[in-house]
Amino acid sequence: MRRYLNRALGPALFVVAAVVVALLPRFMGEFRLLEFTLVAIYVIALLGLNILTGYSGQISLGHGAFVGVGAYVAALLSLGRPGLELYMLDPPSWIPIGNGMTPVFTIPIAALVTGVIGFLIGIPALRLGGVSLALATLALAVSFPILMKRFSEVTGGGGGLNLNLPETPFGWDISTRHWLYYEAWVTAGILFLAAWLLVRGRIGRAWRAIRDGEVAATSSGVNPALYKTFAFGVSSAYAGAAGALFAIETAYVNPDTFPVSLSILLLASAVIGGLGSLAGALFGALLFEFLPIYSQEPPIFSFHFADQAPSVVFGVFLIVIMLLLPGGVAGLFRTLAGAVRTGRFRRRSDTSELA
Amino acid sequence: MAVPARAQRFELSIGPLLRGVLLGVGSIVGALAALVLIYRTTDVLNFAQGEMATFTTFIAWSLMHHMSYWPAFALTLVIAFVGGAAIERIIIRPVEHRPEIVIVIVTIGLLIALNGLSGWIWNPEVKAFDDPFPNGTTEIAGVVISYQELGVLGVCLATVVLLWAFFRFTTLGLVMRAVANSQDASRLLGVRVGWMLALGWGLAAVLGAVAGMMAAPSQFLDPNLMLVILIYSFAAAVLGGIDSPIGAVVGGLILGVLINILGTYVDFIGGELRLPAALVVLLIVLLIRPQGLFGHRVVRRV
Amino acid sequence: MKRVLLVTLVLGAALTVALPGAFARTEATQATPGITSKSIKIGGTFPYSGPVSSYSPIPEGMKTYFRFINARKGPDGKRGIYGRKIDFKTYDDGYNPAQTVQLTNKLVLEDKVFAVVGTLGTEPNIAIRPFLNQRKVPQVLVSTGASYWGTQYKQFPWTSGWQTDYIAEGRMYARWILANAARQKIAIFYQNDDYGKDYLNGIKQGLGSRTNLIVSELSYEVTDTSYASQIARQRATSADTWILVTTAGTQTVRALATAKRLGWKPDQIIINSVAATDGVMAAAVASVGQDYVNGAVSTGYLKNNTNPKYAKDPAIRSYRRIMSKYAPPGGVNIRNSFYYYGVAKAYDFVRLMYAAGKNPTRASLMAATTRMNWVNPYALKGVRIKTSKTDRFPIDQGRVVQYTNGSWTEISALYKGR
Repeated sequence: MRRYLNRALGPALFVVAAVVVALLPRFMGEFRLLEFTLVAIYVIALLGLNILTGYSGQISLGHGAFVGVGAYVAALLSLGRPGLELYMLDPPSWIPIGNGMTPVFTIPIAALVTGVIGFLIGIPALRLGGVSLALATLALAVSFPILMKRFSEVTGGGGGLNLNLPETPFGWDISTRHWLYYEAWVTAGILFLAAWLLVRGRIGRAWRAIRDGEVAATSSGVNPALYKTFAFGVSSAYAGAAGALFAIETAYVNPDTFPVSLSILLLASAVIGGLGSLAGALFGALLFEFLPIYSQEPPIFSFHFADQAPSVVFGVFLIVIMLLLPGGVAGLFRTLAGAVRTGRFRRRSDTSELA
Repeated sequence: MAVPARAQRFELSIGPLLRGVLLGVGSIVGALAALVLIYRTTDVLNFAQGEMATFTTFIAWSLMHHMSYWPAFALTLVIAFVGGAAIERIIIRPVEHRPEIVIVIVTIGLLIALNGLSGWIWNPEVKAFDDPFPNGTTEIAGVVISYQELGVLGVCLATVVLLWAFFRFTTLGLVMRAVANSQDASRLLGVRVGWMLALGWGLAAVLGAVAGMMAAPSQFLDPNLMLVILIYSFAAAVLGGIDSPIGAVVGGLILGVLINILGTYVDFIGGELRLPAALVVLLIVLLIRPQGLFGHRVVRRV
Repeated sequence: MKRVLLVTLVLGAALTVALPGAFARTEATQATPGITSKSIKIGGTFPYSGPVSSYSPIPEGMKTYFRFINARKGPDGKRGIYGRKIDFKTYDDGYNPAQTVQLTNKLVLEDKVFAVVGTLGTEPNIAIRPFLNQRKVPQVLVSTGASYWGTQYKQFPWTSGWQTDYIAEGRMYARWILANAARQKIAIFYQNDDYGKDYLNGIKQGLGSRTNLIVSELSYEVTDTSYASQIARQRATSADTWILVTTAGTQTVRALATAKRLGWKPDQIIINSVAATDGVMAAAVASVGQDYVNGAVSTGYLKNNTNPKYAKDPAIRSYRRIMSKYAPPGGVNIRNSFYYYGVAKAYDFVRLMYAAGKNPTRASLMAATTRMNWVNPYALKGVRIKTSKTDRFPIDQGRVVQYTNGSWTEISALYKGR
């Protein structure tokens, strides 16, 4: 009975979370809904990063570049050639940009395209480990804005592309803001479940084996090359989906929107949220969304902080969290859960009485 | 001010080559050696290396308002050393044995914090930085090079040589190499490993300060001074082999030359794609030789 | 029991995140958002952090001027504008358009500002333009010199600019060069993006049939660490007029220092107005010396607040008084002309609000932007802030100014850029 309850805990939490997410819009103003829509988008991105770095142990400092790829794909597809003509852009005809499609359909396509690109990049990345991989992916992050600027006949260059302002598709009768919110969260939910299935299945076990000791994994018959490349592909697909949603939501893409700092901050958020735990993506996303905005308006302090203070605070915060909570927030919850489950709290107070 | 035709022709062919060499050496090597140094001794890739260098350069800038160049330079080196060692003991020590990713995030946090702090303390407006080398230029193989560029080249090469000599010929250097090789074995031999690590970071900070003070006169001082250079540094370090000082120098040279030549002669790449193109080449090299040109191959025996 | 505890913990965590949202309920919608009988709430986003943070004095200048307006008694005897005090809410977008979009949404949806004023950056403003136009929120006096704000008013009637645009400025340089030495050989060194190309276009348009005077146009990337190869090539062309299209960071100083190191001193150096700030000029002087920099030319539409000639000018004196009395805590360097720019812009906003009437609405504000016609005392003499239904460039004039020993002096007549 007890073990059954243990196993049911995860799904139960998921259901609870889903209910909370579904009901939240009743209690929120329009802007808060926007913020939570972005949280969903970041959850998707961080799930992907978690899979790559947390579960298969490959450090990526280039995740933001894949988000950008997804965003641009979505932008190009939803604008279509007629839309691009308004920018006087005429991409080469071999690129299959249609005549503009309903934005929601661009999400899976963007995910697919980005996933394939990620998979291809994963092939050479195999041979790099640890530091070298971190640097190679950093190179991706650095190159992405430059490439987007350079191929301006397709991407609109520095000026970027305005997508059409979002609207509820198919004539459905809900407000655009609600549509965007549910679009993002439903996608996040689906992708979360997919990640969960992947991670607890054979593939996830192979990933973890590779992460914890590639040599041992190989000798147990796991082919690291295949799984590592697959991890790259999956993680980029997630990033692509996040990017597409991001482009739809923000309705604007340009090279400055996906700078190197995006990749770095995504990694930092993933780590603080907790690697090796899917729930960590949620905590990381909350941090990523709310910390930059609310560190500009400290409600408690009213000192005149210098403009650069938020950066300093954020940097120090990163360091402190890593010193105190290397498992991230999810790790903290897991420890608490463990303590609660084994009743260690009670036992400790017992012994203290004896001392 | 007509330039003789013959010199012009040279300008076009050797020019990019030589400029590439200068680019590669001038700013990269110092930061590079520091990166490699830390990595070699402590197995940590310090993402904040550039920001530490910038921060100490700002300190130098302030000092130079109160004293002349070389005393300020020397004092900055001392401060850098103490600062670097302190950072190692206080911030890095607690997370040394944690997974790699945790250390990476800590150094990234350090990067962000130092960047913000530089802007906060000294305000982000661009500042001029003193130049110890005389003004004026000279011609080498038809290429106009300033004394400043030559001076920077000289200082960086001297620094690298000193570093090499330190590791090769001094006891302390030997001990540090032992620590890099195996911390446990060193401990068994009675080495105070903790202090060696701090020493490594302190030295690296000094090198970073040198790099920053060499780069600042031509790049001008603002909080983002070393950010772009950092990327080149990393690329060069990986290219050359992240645990090899010689690799660092050679990697820097090759990268600098590559970037310039690719940019000048390959039209498709032009000025815009120089950095990505160089990074692609870097990736190709890594594919063929993952440990970099001079790095040591980690052989995994199954 | 313990599981219940855990579930409660998780739920509690979720709720603490949701709760702030619960408090951010929509108030009863006012007739005009941001306007009450006692206040006007406006907002804007600026790059307080990130690569272009040197522009951060601009919103501070604006806020300081607004504080002055809120304290002084206006022409109708009331403080503020018709008795309403101005509350200017600003956020840091780090020059990332995605952040601009989110923060502007916050300004409109949560802070409920009346108008978005002075947001900085071409791309950030392009990113928020469709949203603001859809919601009919005024986007006025934007801090960028792209020409779109003046040319695309039909598609985006709720967006309006302020300063002389880059193309117009490029034309002014061309005109001045033609008037002063038609035999000059021009080399242009520009930043390789839309901003730099706008200037380049303007210069070429202004030169008309004489574009053959340009002997070299070379660009640099923002990520470049050395301009030596480009500048060496420009030197080799023996050009005697050198136009720098850079931004207000290290690039201008680096370009000048590189040129000097390479032993090149063109007879005439032209630095575009965005780059020719006091901070940059001071760093340039420290690096290449006063002699090298003296004689450099730029354009301006505002009085130069550091020029001794203007020391007794009423506008400069008022600027100094306002800054010293109402500046933010921590003190400011009033010589930094970005504060001055902010004050000048704020002045025009105040005039706009008066023109919008005693009971301003968003529509009346936009209508006012099509009828601007006054003199801004902080602007150069002769410059008139003027718009009409078809001319949406509030400022399109300027004068060529020359740098000598720390300040800029006008050396040309008033040019019309458009």
